[in-house]
Amino acid sequence: MAEITIGKEDFLKFREFFYRKTGIQFDDAKRYFVDRRLAERIEATDSRSFRNYFMLLRFEASGEELQTLTNLMTVNETYFFREEYQFKCLVNSILPEITTQKKDSRPIRIWSMPSSSGEEPYSIAMYLLEYWPGIEKWDVEIISSDIDTKILGQARRGLYSPRSVQHLPKNLLAKYFKAAGDGFQVSEELREAVEFTRVNLMNQADVRAYREFDVIFCRNLLIYFDDLSRRQAADTFYDALHPGGFLCLGHSESMSRISSLYKARKFADSVVYQKPKEAR
Amino acid sequence: MPIVKKAPAASRDQDERELQRDCASLVLQLADGDPTTRRWAAKDLVGCPDVSAALIGRLRQERDPSVREIILTALTQRADAQAVAALVECLRSEDVSLRNEAIEAMKTLPDEVAPIMGGLLGDADPDVRIFAVNVLESLRHELVEQWLKEVIERDPHVNVCATAVDLLGEVGTSYSREALEKLKERFPDEPYIRFAADIALKRICSN
Amino acid sequence: MKRVLIVDDAATVRMYYRLILEEAGYLVVEAVNGVEAMEKSLRESFDLYIVDINMPKQDGYGFLRELRGRDELRQAPALMVSTEAADHDRKRAYAAGANLYLVKPVKPQELLVNCRLLLGEVRP
Ligand SMILES: C[S@@+](CC[C@H](N)C(=O)[O-])C[C@H]1O[C@@H](n2cnc3c(N)ncnc32)[C@H](O)[C@@H]1O
Repeated sequence: MAEITIGKEDFLKFREFFYRKTGIQFDDAKRYFVDRRLAERIEATDSRSFRNYFMLLRFEASGEELQTLTNLMTVNETYFFREEYQFKCLVNSILPEITTQKKDSRPIRIWSMPSSSGEEPYSIAMYLLEYWPGIEKWDVEIISSDIDTKILGQARRGLYSPRSVQHLPKNLLAKYFKAAGDGFQVSEELREAVEFTRVNLMNQADVRAYREFDVIFCRNLLIYFDDLSRRQAADTFYDALHPGGFLCLGHSESMSRISSLYKARKFADSVVYQKPKEAR
Repeated sequence: MPIVKKAPAASRDQDERELQRDCASLVLQLADGDPTTRRWAAKDLVGCPDVSAALIGRLRQERDPSVREIILTALTQRADAQAVAALVECLRSEDVSLRNEAIEAMKTLPDEVAPIMGGLLGDADPDVRIFAVNVLESLRHELVEQWLKEVIERDPHVNVCATAVDLLGEVGTSYSREALEKLKERFPDEPYIRFAADIALKRICSN
Repeated sequence: MKRVLIVDDAATVRMYYRLILEEAGYLVVEAVNGVEAMEKSLRESFDLYIVDINMPKQDGYGFLRELRGRDELRQAPALMVSTEAADHDRKRAYAAGANLYLVKPVKPQELLVNCRLLLGEVRP
């Protein structure tokens, strides 16, 4: 089979298209990375040329190929303390703001969605216990959901490979994990702290009961949705949040491709989104 | 233990919402004073027959962007003739956000929008023609290039052509080459048109 | 180097402005709509904004209003450039917080002169 080549103009055209759709920008230095993945998909879809492949991306009714390609262009692996700056933002800025404005003493509610195998909600729990002084005064509920029941089972068991915990500080690994087989298991304390539930974010009946959250983490999911589903997801989170509640997206995801209902807020560690305080 | 486990549901006003979920009362709730009630009514109306008119009626006067967004999503999901006609009507609105929301909704409806695209591109109002071209930006329809080519061949208004030529930089093929060359001659004094047409041409030649 | 944020949903338009401004020695950043423009404005600072009106998610008026409502961002000048030529569009643009208004399509020189004006590099 002939070598698939992607010309300079092809790259530029693709880069613009991909940026418009996802908000992800590739600079010239990423050319090789992008070309290789494009070539891989051109081959896999039997498109034979960039031109045909681009037409597929642009015009395919289901948008499936764009989703597959987005998957390939982004990191899907979940691990402990992934995008840690957001957890820092949570304990340094978001929670302090919420607690000073809160008028009742009910627990603070956090929704981590999608949970995948649990690294994210457990990271949040650890972060709160370790780095948030407010934990002495406030009760917190952490609920974490995913569509995939198998992965939820894994999350509840809390068994992880060494690779998945490699970004954890040693003292936390020692404190919250015990060795299990070739890897580690999260402590009972943390497993007790997170409630895992099965939810399809796109199903109104599933999400209806999810209300009155103070913070929602929705990282590395919306980028794989089509425009309409993203908007519906943003609407769902809007109803799930208290006025003034916060929504944290993954670092390659941008609210600018989703909705204008939220207000961007700049904190020391991160820019996050907030449901307007005056909203109801 | 400060992190407490609890069922996900915060069930306070749950029950209220379960009441009165029949279509007729949902329509009434679209005019409720509380935006949350209006939002939920619009969400749940998606399943009801013949409610596009009610949704559209609400959309015209709704000021809360979060309710508007849901109504537009609902209209997009219904996509009946009435809903599409309402979206088109929004293109003539002086309300810029409403207009842009309608454009976005129309982008996701290739089959419904295709039959009326010719009419929109021939509208007497150049603004409406520009908005119609905006709809083509992401429309997943095989006629997109043909429509754009016809625009740059025929439309007398420079900004309608400018909007179309921008999109040809993405979807243009050799089919549009001649039209792009001619466009430059039609607007010889507009550097932007030359710039945009040249980019589209360069991209066509390279493949 | 002065930093300019171009806010327009048309890729070719952004490229066109970029070419003109970079040649004149400005540093250019792009955004496709008001929401992205606000995200970028919170992350880095700009000396000048060039803003289109009709854009998905958040239009130019909405963006300028939000910009002017934020203490740390309200100072920077904004040039609004749109296909809309009516008087009331111009009025609306100024009311939202634009400092100058140009009708598309713009000529390179026209763009440059107005940017320099807003940046205080030339006198009117
Ligand atoms: C890439 S992981 C993200 C994990 C984690 N939030 C992170 O950022 O590392 C994506 C997860 O989304 C879940 N998922 C996909 N579609 C979903 C839907 N409609 N509702 C809920 N979860 C979904 C998948 O099962 C998968 O576990």
